[in-house]
Amino acid sequence: MARTQQETTRERDRITDGDGVAVESALIGDDLELSYPTSNETIVDCARIDIPEGAVTALVGPNGSGKSTLLKALSNHLEPATGTVEIHGEPLESFSQKELARELSVLSQENDSLGSITVEDLVYHGRYPHRGFFESVSDEDHEAVERAIELAGIDDLRETELGQLSGGQKQLAWIAMVLAQETDVLLLDEPTTFLDIHHQFRVLETIRQLNEERGVTIAVILHDISQAARFADYLIAMCDGELYDWGPPEEVVTEQLLADIFGIEATVEYEPELQVLPKRSLPDRRT
Amino acid sequence: MAEAQSIGGQTSVQKQGGRAGWVTGRLVLFCLASMAVTVVAGLVQVSFGEYSMTISEAWHAVFNPNVLFNLDAWSAFLFGTELPGMSTASIVVWNLRLPRVFVGIIAGATLAVSGAIFQAVTRNELASPFVLGVSSGAGFAVLATLVVFSGLSPFLPLIAALGGTVAFVVVYTIAWKGGTSPVRLVLAGVIVNMVFQSLQQGLFFFADDLGVVQTAVAWLTGSLTGTGWDEVRIAIVPAIVSIAIAVAGARQLNVLLLGERTAQSLGMRVERVRFFLSAVAILAASVAIAVAGIVSFFGLVVPHIVRNTVGGDYRRLMVGCLFAGPALLVTADVGARLALSGTQLPVGVVTGLLGGPYFLYLMRKQQSMGEL
Repeated sequence: MARTQQETTRERDRITDGDGVAVESALIGDDLELSYPTSNETIVDCARIDIPEGAVTALVGPNGSGKSTLLKALSNHLEPATGTVEIHGEPLESFSQKELARELSVLSQENDSLGSITVEDLVYHGRYPHRGFFESVSDEDHEAVERAIELAGIDDLRETELGQLSGGQKQLAWIAMVLAQETDVLLLDEPTTFLDIHHQFRVLETIRQLNEERGVTIAVILHDISQAARFADYLIAMCDGELYDWGPPEEVVTEQLLADIFGIEATVEYEPELQVLPKRSLPDRRT
Repeated sequence: MAEAQSIGGQTSVQKQGGRAGWVTGRLVLFCLASMAVTVVAGLVQVSFGEYSMTISEAWHAVFNPNVLFNLDAWSAFLFGTELPGMSTASIVVWNLRLPRVFVGIIAGATLAVSGAIFQAVTRNELASPFVLGVSSGAGFAVLATLVVFSGLSPFLPLIAALGGTVAFVVVYTIAWKGGTSPVRLVLAGVIVNMVFQSLQQGLFFFADDLGVVQTAVAWLTGSLTGTGWDEVRIAIVPAIVSIAIAVAGARQLNVLLLGERTAQSLGMRVERVRFFLSAVAILAASVAIAVAGIVSFFGLVVPHIVRNTVGGDYRRLMVGCLFAGPALLVTADVGARLALSGTQLPVGVVTGLLGGPYFLYLMRKQQSMGEL
């Protein structure tokens, strides 16, 4: 039951979960049109996007469909050409940079790798928004860092310098840094890309745990649609800068969707659990 | 060495208070060694010269209680009041040679700190106070003053600082396009540098007096020849202010090094912090330029030496620079003053000659030079 965007625009004013119960949104993008300052081309055009409170939402879509751009707008890294973004009902602009960083943390896709900083020092940087210019580390900071390191499971790497870590360990260290920020909303841009399968699971399990134990709202861009389908509470499927569909994975993931936005032929099985079995690419793929 | 002890004391206090694990034994050792080098080089500088005395005579003159505890003498040094009567040795040491050492200390510390800041702000290990146009702007201002507006010569240090600041503002304006980026800053700096250097070379044609040309060259290569308490008085306050802010801002620099987007999502107003810290670095560089001219290579190399020894954490790096800068500049100045008998080299020649090869050596030795 793939709904098109136009059909659902109105009903999505109040979003519902699988049982038809209304869900609060932590983050709402309203009437967003996004473009980069260097060009006039509109990258993303979407009437409304909701990131439901206390749930894990996965953004999926092919390369260049505007997922990262959308995430940048949701995290105040990119000012929308039109439209507003609200967090817990208040527009992003009403927060100072530091206040916002206490509400919302973001992990970018590419992190410049600094060789000579230890994992622990990196995680302490996550406390930046909680500290004043001259303030030193408080007990609270210390505890937050301990919690973050434990949750990410990188206690044994503490004293290791970032340059000596593998890609997967590095990603866990960066995740620990945003965990130390202790925000209610966490946005992650492709945290599992380029990782081996073990570390992919470590990252996803950490995110899931964070969501279940602390009720943190999470939006995460994932490349692997079958992984996203199994992992997330909600999916947002994007195509060509527009919202293709939105909802729980069982509703969103269909063979039609896979053909439409990813250009692949695939079988989707719903029993015993949602499974995507990709078969081959479709020849008439739009470019 | 009372200073050294107080620093050792601070370390233990910081280790107790909270998570101050950044003060490592290596850093303390590095600072102590740097300080020892500064003291030895300073004593050599004080002892030798046309009015030669033995090391012990020099020591006695330096620690002469009649001067050390003489308020009139200090007010003469620091506020320019009339100098009380004292022995020839004391006058030579306290009024001619020691101030030069102090100027070296101040210029060394400010240049090193300034270079370290610029390398973090632009996230480019080739950055130095001078990449962002400061040096060529200051140099042009100095030349223009000497050649065209010779009446303004007494204000040369101020004019140099002003020229550096103007050039930096020009660079920042060119690089600004709804925000700046490290690459754009460096590119704009290189271009502004080229324009100002062409202007400098053009100005040399209008200088008809050989003396003027020599003064100008001394400025442009960086020299401590003839510096005295006047220079200390000019430099001391802005030096302390800029160094204090730089050390306090070390954590901001660390976060800035994580990358722009990360720094922003951690709640830093990146543009503002970058501009503010650049301004501090300009102030620090201007202090050095104002009293010592344009000492080449120094601001570039010293942060690398320190980083190589104590690591890339800016809290350590800043403190390290604070000690290593003076040690190296005072030592280089000893070479500049005493290496050739009869004539003094500009210290910038020495730092350039030693700094360049050392930088190359670092590059060859270190695989990961590309990372800050």
